Amino acid sequence: MMSQPVINVSNLTKFYGDFKALDSVSFSVSQGWVYGYLGPNGAGKTTTIRTMLGLLKPKGGKVEIAGVNPSKDPVRALQKVGYAPELPNLQTFFSGEELLDFTGRMFGLPRQARKEKVWQLLEFVGLKEEGKKKIGKYSKGMIQKLSVALALVNDPTVLIMDEPTIGMDPEATAYFRNLFTTLSKQGTTVFISSHLLDEVQRICTHVGMINKGKMVFDGPISQVLETFTQEWVIEAELEKVTPKIMANLKQLSYVKDIKVEENKLRIQLKEKKDLRGEISSEIFKHKGVLLSLNLHKITLEDAYLQALKGSR
Amino acid sequence: MNAFQRVATIVSYEWKRTLAKKKFFVFVILAFAVQILIFVIFNYLFTNPPPLMPPFFLEQTKPIMWIIEALFPQGLFMSLVAIMISGGSMSEEYEHGTADTLLSKPITKIEYMTGKYLGGLSLLSFVVALTTALGVILAVSFFSPQEHLQFVPHVYLAIVYSNLVFLSLAFMFSEVFRRTTLALLSAIGIFIASMVTSGVLSVVYAFTGEQLYLDVSKWLPDWCASNFPDFVIRELVSIPSTPFVSIGEVETVLAGALIAVYTTVFIAITIIKLIKSDVTKKTD
Repeated sequence: MMSQPVINVSNLTKFYGDFKALDSVSFSVSQGWVYGYLGPNGAGKTTTIRTMLGLLKPKGGKVEIAGVNPSKDPVRALQKVGYAPELPNLQTFFSGEELLDFTGRMFGLPRQARKEKVWQLLEFVGLKEEGKKKIGKYSKGMIQKLSVALALVNDPTVLIMDEPTIGMDPEATAYFRNLFTTLSKQGTTVFISSHLLDEVQRICTHVGMINKGKMVFDGPISQVLETFTQEWVIEAELEKVTPKIMANLKQLSYVKDIKVEENKLRIQLKEKKDLRGEISSEIFKHKGVLLSLNLHKITLEDAYLQALKGSR
Repeated sequence: MNAFQRVATIVSYEWKRTLAKKKFFVFVILAFAVQILIFVIFNYLFTNPPPLMPPFFLEQTKPIMWIIEALFPQGLFMSLVAIMISGGSMSEEYEHGTADTLLSKPITKIEYMTGKYLGGLSLLSFVVALTTALGVILAVSFFSPQEHLQFVPHVYLAIVYSNLVFLSLAFMFSEVFRRTTLALLSAIGIFIASMVTSGVLSVVYAFTGEQLYLDVSKWLPDWCASNFPDFVIRELVSIPSTPFVSIGEVETVLAGALIAVYTTVFIAITIIKLIKSDVTKKTD
């Protein structure tokens, strides 16, 4: 059963001068989802996020976070929203501790709760040692980590991250990937804009794809693969490919085409089904020795590229 | 958390932001230096009166030295300090990309702007309190007895109020241009142009006697900003016309009303620009 959308974006249109940055963008994100928002550079990802937060004024359409329009009532709409911008620009005159404390104040956290939360978060993102240091002396990676900590100050129920792992080392990336998954299991809705498809495929439950300001896909991650899978292919490696094996495989009703390259077969199927069992039986039947047999599945990257191609 | 608390949070933020700047301290130190210079000059005049200076001038001036000490930095330095404080208040957040992080928090644009403005105003009030206190302390310590000290709060409030003009002007430019250098240059340019034009018109009036020149000069922002504290104190205390205290007709109500009009117009333009525009990304 689909729960009530936490983020609801409908027919969002935004112009920069004459340039249409968003063209009737619509999607919904429900509680507990990890929603990956994909698109090439300049597609409109950051514009969507900034409009969702009320930082940009749309020409048309509607945004609601927990049923409230952030442009009209930011106090109610953003109270439980955590946001980490792409390449965050933080106040360099603050120390990490001071900025977290100030952010906690903006969310109305009491002094004692803030104090505890600040050091808990600094430890959480691995910046406890640098907590008293001015942000102007932080490295890019440290700023990125602090930005994520800032987004968690208010224990958000909606976490909006714009390219959250950009500039992070692999260890930190894996750490935050786990964090987002954990938060979503606890009921937090996570909205991630990213161009790292592998990352999105690993952690997201749902995906939205945008290109040139238009949504080209919105749905569960399983559906995106299904939607953009045009053909299923089985790749078989044999000790020796004989004419007899070839002739018999070609006669099978579910085989569309076979390409041979030395002792490797690329069997294109007519149906979107895993038919490895049937293929291997047929090869064994004709005394073939099978070395490997793989179903070539579509990746999110394949689907993404196809979606972009289709939208051009 | 109520609106007042949210505004107070931004006020404290604005103090922190401004106090992190070296140029702010340079102007405050300059204001102090001018006060000390005035003290040194008068101290010399009182101990070594020049032969051409009439004795009554020094006799009349000495008991009100605290007024001269308090008002002297107002004309030039306090307006510049006001411009320094608010000229980058809004624009620096856009230039540094920090407006995004601030305005993506549960706060309305009006609360944010109010906090920024009141932060600047309260900081300016604090600086004026320091310069006024320094002036009074120097005068009381070295030129005792001082008269009319019961009017210290009046002078202080009049100086703060008169500074609203250039504080608000620079604040408006800061939001409208969203470029600190441009905002500061424009505000300082208007301040100097207004001061020079006002001076030229007064001289022309002195030569021609044509009232129009004087009337035109009154509508320039510098006239009300620099004369209002003088007018207030002259309503309260009988002050001799000296090179240090302005001469001419006392028009406290007109000056006060013009400060209110300028401030209201500048703030209204700031609000309209802020409400109607997108929060722009980092620009520097």
